[in-house]
Amino acid sequence: MIEKTQIIINKLGLHARAAAKLSHLANMFNANIYLIYNEDKVNAKSLLGILTLAASVGNEIVLQASGDDEQQAITAISDLFNRKFDEES
Amino acid sequence: MIKSLIITHGNLGHELIQVAEKILEQKLDIQAIAFDWQGDGSDMIAQLEKFIAANKGNKIVIFTDMFGGSPSNIASRFINKNVEVVTGINLPGLLKFFCCEGKSSKFKETVKTVEQGAIEGINIISEYLGEKND
Repeated sequence: MIEKTQIIINKLGLHARAAAKLSHLANMFNANIYLIYNEDKVNAKSLLGILTLAASVGNEIVLQASGDDEQQAITAISDLFNRKFDEES
Repeated sequence: MIKSLIITHGNLGHELIQVAEKILEQKLDIQAIAFDWQGDGSDMIAQLEKFIAANKGNKIVIFTDMFGGSPSNIASRFINKNVEVVTGINLPGLLKFFCCEGKSSKFKETVKTVEQGAIEGINIISEYLGEKND
């Protein structure tokens, strides 16, 4: 299992469209992938689960993955966060 | 394959689909029927019969806006082992359907997941945050 701390840098935080992109991406991997924010841990493959975090810009979350492609999953998801979910120029 | 249809008072169904498509950034395979306020429902029955006939061999889930409303009451007449009706559909429920639909081969399981998603999407925020902070 690997973990990575990630800061949310897009202005709107983990809102609906960002959560949809994130869950869609997470579903491409075999690994079990979770997002941990404060004391909440949700399945990154669940759009509605991600939304319950109500995480905003500047918040720090932990990406956690376990499985054969865990490293690729964390790298790809972290990249999506860093690209601001492709919603800002 | 599960086919889906949404029947609502007015254009609520069309709007829900449009918003879901915007969020998911994809065209969704779902059809909307708006209940005609002036009609007696015969138009809707004809459209439902046509949809079900066109999708013979598939499972069908019909989403409606409100339990007890005309769209629900009419859709309920078509329930059988291949056709299920979920009332009170909202955006979380619809998103849940299009996120999980392909993953479960079990029709009843998928329908139940949508119901749960729709219910879990309704929260009084202050109470929700209160529970989380307790």
